[in-house]
Amino acid sequence: MSAVASDPLATLLADELATLRAVADRLIPAAGDMPSAAAVVSDARLRFVLSARPDLLGPLHRALRAELGTDVARRLEALGRDEPSTLGVLQLVIVAGYYTDQQVRDLIGYPGQMALDLRTFGFPAYLEEGLIDAVLARGAVWRDPSTGKRAVVEGTPRTYAERFAAMADAPVAESAGAPDPAPEGGT
Amino acid sequence: MAQEPADVLIIGAGASGGVVGLRLAEAGFKVVCLEQGEWLDRADYPGNKLDWELKARKDWATSPNIRGLAQDYPIVEDDTPVSPLMYNAVGGSTIIFAGAWPRALPSDFRVRSIDGVADDWPIDYFELLPYFYRTDRQFGVSGLPGDPAYPPDTEDAPMPPLPIGAAGLKIARAHTKLGWHWWPEFNSINSTPYDGRRPCVQRSTCQSGCNEGAKASSDLTHWPKAIALGARLVTGARVRRIETDAKGLATGATWIDHDGEEHVEPARVVVVAANAIGTPRLLLLSSSPAHPDGLANSSGLVGKRLMMHPFANVAGLFEEPLMSWQGQFGDLIESLEFYETDERRGFVRGARWGLAPTGGPINTALPSRAGEQIWGAEHHEHVRTHLGHGANWGLFAEDLPDEANHITISSSVTDSSGIPAPEVHYSMADNARRMLDFHIERAKESMEAAGAFKIEVDRLMRYSGWHLLGTARMGDDPKTSVLDRWNRSHDVPNLYVVDGSCFVTSSGVNPTSTIAAIALRAADHMVETRFEQQVPA
Repeated sequence: MSAVASDPLATLLADELATLRAVADRLIPAAGDMPSAAAVVSDARLRFVLSARPDLLGPLHRALRAELGTDVARRLEALGRDEPSTLGVLQLVIVAGYYTDQQVRDLIGYPGQMALDLRTFGFPAYLEEGLIDAVLARGAVWRDPSTGKRAVVEGTPRTYAERFAAMADAPVAESAGAPDPAPEGGT
Repeated sequence: MAQEPADVLIIGAGASGGVVGLRLAEAGFKVVCLEQGEWLDRADYPGNKLDWELKARKDWATSPNIRGLAQDYPIVEDDTPVSPLMYNAVGGSTIIFAGAWPRALPSDFRVRSIDGVADDWPIDYFELLPYFYRTDRQFGVSGLPGDPAYPPDTEDAPMPPLPIGAAGLKIARAHTKLGWHWWPEFNSINSTPYDGRRPCVQRSTCQSGCNEGAKASSDLTHWPKAIALGARLVTGARVRRIETDAKGLATGATWIDHDGEEHVEPARVVVVAANAIGTPRLLLLSSSPAHPDGLANSSGLVGKRLMMHPFANVAGLFEEPLMSWQGQFGDLIESLEFYETDERRGFVRGARWGLAPTGGPINTALPSRAGEQIWGAEHHEHVRTHLGHGANWGLFAEDLPDEANHITISSSVTDSSGIPAPEVHYSMADNARRMLDFHIERAKESMEAAGAFKIEVDRLMRYSGWHLLGTARMGDDPKTSVLDRWNRSHDVPNLYVVDGSCFVTSSGVNPTSTIAAIALRAADHMVETRFEQQVPA
């Protein structure tokens, strides 16, 4: 009994699992070097998804019920028409099982949400390229409420160097792991 | 023995409650705060875990109706195309906000005078400026000084700007070609170690709580300091009503704990900081013979004029990889090029654009914003061309106040403590629709100029009611406003509202910076007038 309570997968019948994998194969089939979701969404992946989101189990049972028949396309069509939120759960379980698999992540070049160190030295590309200068050169954007017109501010700096001369040595944060790329053709 | 009343009782431990709590504790006030949520442990936040994208769609959803956690209250939203979003915990919605930290602009406070619509505020940008500087320091703001979309500052952001990422640079170059404004976004996210908190690691999971503590949330930036100064913060305390005496003065609040036990917290002054849904809900539930239509509601405007910033999303897809699942969610850059009124466009006021990261593979397959689901063999190509290849312009339209957009109290739905739920009645104005349509077309031009090979648009995103504003507006005339210019109720002189409810108009920018500055200004005034403050006997 405790196994049933703690293992959400134990509540899924063999027929339900077979239907789930048939749907998975339909939604995300093998193509090129990418495996199908049916091959990837193993018991372990399903267990991971349903443990993280036990609220999905009830709608998943509904999505996989036998009365919807054996034809996958008709099942998906019926769910989409009559029970879109149930269909959404079925899709989420399959997608989540697939894209939390390490092999799949490697294949799509997604390392997960990484923690990157910020570098706090140097100037970013947008300053080097003069993109801020271009903004400053156009002058004030804000509207002066006393006139209702675009503000005219005398003596405001029109270049980065002018505006920031006093803080030329101040640090600007850059991501060490994801630097702003250099201008076209650079590295 | 009767309980000694607090000098000030604050209801809600979010951004504005934290600002007021700290300021008053610093001034020696005996502060008590009632918060229906709990303290959170950021080790439990899902952003650095494999199941992040799964949890972000349930327990860490921004909609309380989707989360359905014990500390949440349901919101009846059958009569609105936009769902209100919030979080209930110490830190309030700063736990899940993006961290973008733009200020309202000078014109925002003079909408009637310069554009002939809605109302002017009783205060202005320049009066708030010193408070912006102080709250920037309190929350910890990163940004590049000198943005010409704002008047010149005399004080820079305390930290240098965060990276704008490859996507931000691409769009910045495009705006340079177009001659349009852009600027690295100001975010209340650390770019360097600051105030005992670590810098951002660019994980982009800001809306699921910040694992690093780099994003400012008042459970980190304000409440520990206030508590160290003597403030008492009671969690799991769901306020049912604000109590008043025969003279109509607030005397404290009745609240319910986890076990359903009722308690009374007496106070000399009550400050409500429960957001523009929770605050009018509580005021309307606090009716009495002296306040038959709800507390502080002689104007009839409590719960009226709800504004939520109708939001559209324009996503551009680019051939080259941008690694756009990383970066602060806060924004990378912003544009205020089309923020100010130009009546030739067919509407008044404008919208702020914020460029945001685009999420991981689950969000790519099942997009929560603009985009489509692609199944079958083409699914893989879809993910290959979308994941990490996108840039999202989020367009926040100014929402003009309309009394038809309002909060009422449900006669049938309650929270788990039996307190009636709020009902939201809201529709998007024609002006806002025209505004978003215009901005969508300009944002598409921005993406095209940047070289996007495909552009996907969400014309009005349902789960976008992050900015809850206007349901207890401030003003000088008690007949047409709920609060005075110091956030004090016209009707109840020892009752303050310091959250976004006080907004007269919505501006078109993320409001937390402005809410915090206004709250600090109100708290300063409470300190300065403490000996004139009328309190119950």
